[in-house]
Amino acid sequence: MKMRSTLFAGLSLGLGLLAGTQVWAQEVQTGDPVDGTVNIDASVAPKCLFTGDNPVQLSLGELANAVGNLDTSKVNNKSVTLHAWCNSAGSQMHVETTKLALTPALVPNPTGFVQQVDYTASALANAKTATDDTSVAGPGSDVVVGIFTGDVPVTLSNASATGLLLAGAYQGTVVVTLTPG
Amino acid sequence: MNPRKLLIASLSLGFALAGAGQALAVEQVSKDTAQQTVDVGGTVANLCILGTPSQTSINVGQMVDTSTTNVGRITTIGNQTVSLPGSFCNFAGTHLTVTADALLAQDTSTVQPGFSRAVNFTSTVTTWANTPPVVTTAATLNGGTPTASGFGGDQGAPKLTDLTLTLSQFHTGGGDNLLLVAGGYTGSVTITLGPSAAE
Repeated sequence: MKMRSTLFAGLSLGLGLLAGTQVWAQEVQTGDPVDGTVNIDASVAPKCLFTGDNPVQLSLGELANAVGNLDTSKVNNKSVTLHAWCNSAGSQMHVETTKLALTPALVPNPTGFVQQVDYTASALANAKTATDDTSVAGPGSDVVVGIFTGDVPVTLSNASATGLLLAGAYQGTVVVTLTPG
Repeated sequence: MNPRKLLIASLSLGFALAGAGQALAVEQVSKDTAQQTVDVGGTVANLCILGTPSQTSINVGQMVDTSTTNVGRITTIGNQTVSLPGSFCNFAGTHLTVTADALLAQDTSTVQPGFSRAVNFTSTVTTWANTPPVVTTAATLNGGTPTASGFGGDQGAPKLTDLTLTLSQFHTGGGDNLLLVAGGYTGSVTITLGPSAAE
């Protein structure tokens, strides 16, 4: 008897579920709208990018004047225009320079001559200027440039060399860094 | 130790490292720093400059003895010097060349027996390379072959220095026993500082 009761209870539960299904089907058939929501999420990471060739060459030509000293006009105001963008308000820029140096260096340095030229480089982005001078070790200070896209002119100035320049090829670098933030 | 357990431990470590690598890559992508390099280049040409000479002409004055038994013949003429401060070459492999023209009488008429119209001298320039240029003119008594040149040694490094030209050992062309023709005499010394080999 007890086993029979259990069987009935199981059947009742099965019918109950079947009845429930029928009720739901009837509701759909009535034409009432239902909503299904899909939440979509995504993100855009803070990013900065230089577009165009990398590296670029800034050729200054002959650095010495007729009597062997630095012709500062060959360095000062010489510029090259980079192109970049940053997509976040906290983006920063700094510049790091290396001296224009005779390559390869001459060791020992002959008395009365120099084989390095100091200068300042400045980069302009979104009306904000970052600079670095080769006479000071390390990169220049960060400046906040924010969100921008467009030209980044890099200009040299303040060239100096105290002595006669040794003959040969001189090379230096200006590295402009954009850090998204 | 159970070899099976050891193998599993190794694999687990491998996966953990791979996972860390993925995390690092994601971080780099999420905050891209951009760098642009501007290579700056220039050149300095080979250059040699002779300093401004302390004097551009030398007057040795009266060249003959006027009061002794040697009257009319060459007297002792002291050394003459000219400095050229701040002379330099900004590259290695240079040398000095000195070209001298003997002192010749401006009177170009035929030289009479017993006379000479030439005064020779020695020129040297110090100090550039270890071996200085030295040249002695060898004009004949009538003024022939007045020009001579001398080359100094090779200077193996760029150099900045004060050069000194010295004229010495003045002698009569054809021999000091000859009488010198009266009148003005002119000569010259040309110093050239440049590459040892033709460029």
